[in-house]
Order: sequence, then structure tokens, then C-alpha cells
Amino acid sequence: MNTETTNPAAATDVRMDAYLNRLATALRHMPPAEKQDILLEIRAHVLDSVAASSDRKGAVDRVLRLLGTPEELAQRYDTERLLTRASRSFSPWLLLRTSWRWAKAGMKGTVAFFLALIGYGTAFGITIALILKPIMPSRVGVWWGRGDLNIGMVDHPEQMHELLGQWFVPVMAVFAFALAAGTTQALRWLMRRRGTIQYGSPMSF
Amino acid sequence: MYVANNSNGERSQNWEAQLRKGCLEMAILASLWPERLYGLEVLRALSEKSQLNIAEGTLYPILSRLKAEGLLQSEWVESEAGHPRKYYWLTPAGRRRTREMATAWKDFAANLSALMQPILGGTQR
Repeated sequence: MNTETTNPAAATDVRMDAYLNRLATALRHMPPAEKQDILLEIRAHVLDSVAASSDRKGAVDRVLRLLGTPEELAQRYDTERLLTRASRSFSPWLLLRTSWRWAKAGMKGTVAFFLALIGYGTAFGITIALILKPIMPSRVGVWWGRGDLNIGMVDHPEQMHELLGQWFVPVMAVFAFALAAGTTQALRWLMRRRGTIQYGSPMSF
Repeated sequence: MYVANNSNGERSQNWEAQLRKGCLEMAILASLWPERLYGLEVLRALSEKSQLNIAEGTLYPILSRLKAEGLLQSEWVESEAGHPRKYYWLTPAGRRRTREMATAWKDFAANLSALMQPILGGTQR
């Protein structure tokens, strides 16, 4: 006995409700009002699509399949929301986290993530060197020697010479700040002009 | 739109998918230019007027983002079907953006068309 053929409306509800329940779980990080809005909108979409379909029997499954899995759909909402928020933010932590999420969605995001990693990583490294400078003044600096340029600590300072001397702290502080600020601006710019996110999933249109 | 159907078919289809994807946001905004629509109507408008078939799971998150960016506004409206539908329309900022995109698109398409003319015109080999 197949309930789908005898009572399509009831079958619609069971499968749709299961989908919406999974979507609600996957959207748990969203503000409740926004989550409720999404669930109502997707529900209306499924009901309208099924009602408009000539083939009622297969319609529910087809409509749900076209939406992607609840988890995929939730991740798209999450990524769109994070990108909008991050593109207005100046927080390196939020920008780095968002670009990591974005990197999973495609090429542009991957570029943004590596930019964030290198830009913020270098600025962070220099900041550590700035903190260590007063503790180990003779070992921390910008070192030149043996055809190599090193910023930070070296093992054999006697074989190299230091370029900045007492200017190390002010020059490197300005450099680290400019690097972090530049990375922030570049990421915000990338996120704003992303146009549309390119999803890695085969569900293109 | 023309899709190459030869040994390179797969690659040109992929290229075409990328091109269409890039136009997605513009197409969604443009579909809302004449009137307010709910999600399913946006999908229908796009596929009827431009053969642009967007995956449902792609459309709704983009509508939500365009709203967050202040380009769209939305409202729930009760329907005869028994459930409310979420209608979207362009805000003044959204209309401005759409107009800018349409202008840029027109120039871009005209320039490229001039470049493509000898290929599709068939007068030269």
C-alpha cells in the first residue's frame, strides 16, 4: 500500500516537514526571527511548487531535491550572511573566519583566505617580534647577512647585521599596522564586489 | 544562448555556466524592476524571459542577502493558497543599482557584439 498515490497531500507534509526540521537544525546559529522567516519562505516555496506541478506524485521529491540538502541550503544562507557582515567589519578575526568559510565555496574565497592568512599572519609575527624586542634586544631585529633578510629572531646575530637599530620598534610597528589595515581593506573590497558566490557544488543552474 | 556541441562541448558549457552565474544578481534585480514578486515568481520570470534556470537553493539565500544589503525590501502577504508568501521589491537604492548594472551591461554587450559580429555574421572564413 503506497500512501503517496492515495493521499499526496499527506505525503507532501511528511517529507516537507522532515526537510524543514533538518533545515531548522542546520540554521541554529541564525537569529530566531531570521530563521523563522527562512523556514516559512521555503515552506511556501515547496507548497506552491508542488501545487503548480502536473506530476504530483514525484513533485515533492523533485522540489526538495532542487533545493539541495537542508544542510547545503543552510550553509548558503550562513555564507551569504557572514559575507555581508564581514564586508562591513574591521575585525581581522571575523574577516579571517569568514574568508575560511568562503574558501570552501570556491576559488575567489580561497584567494581571499590565503590573503588573510599571509597578511594577518605576517602582521601578527611582527607584533610578536615587537613584544620580544625589549626582552631580547640583541637578538630581535631586521637582519641582513649570508644573502638573507630575516625579520625577528636569529640564532647567530654575530654573523649578520641589524638594519634598523633603535628604529626597529617604530618602523616595524607602523609596518605591521599598515599591513593589517591593508589586508582588512583588501578583504572587505573582495567581499563587497564578489557579485555572486560561486558554489563548489554541482548544483549549478 | 548558443552552446557549442562538439568535443569541447563540456568545457564551453562550463564557461557558459560561469557567465550565467556572474549575471545572476543582475538578473534577479532586473526581474523585480516591473513589479513585486515572491521567490517562485522570480524563478519563473527568469526562466520565461531569459531562459535563466536558477537552482532554487541558490535563489533564496541571494534574495536574503540582497535584502540585508538594502537593495530589496520584503513583506509577507496572505494568499488564497492558505499560506503567506514573501514578496520582494526594489528599494530606491536597489533601483539605482539595477539601473547602473543595466547601463554597464548594455555597453559591455554592445562592445562584445561588435567583436563577435565577424564570427557569427558568416561573411568571412
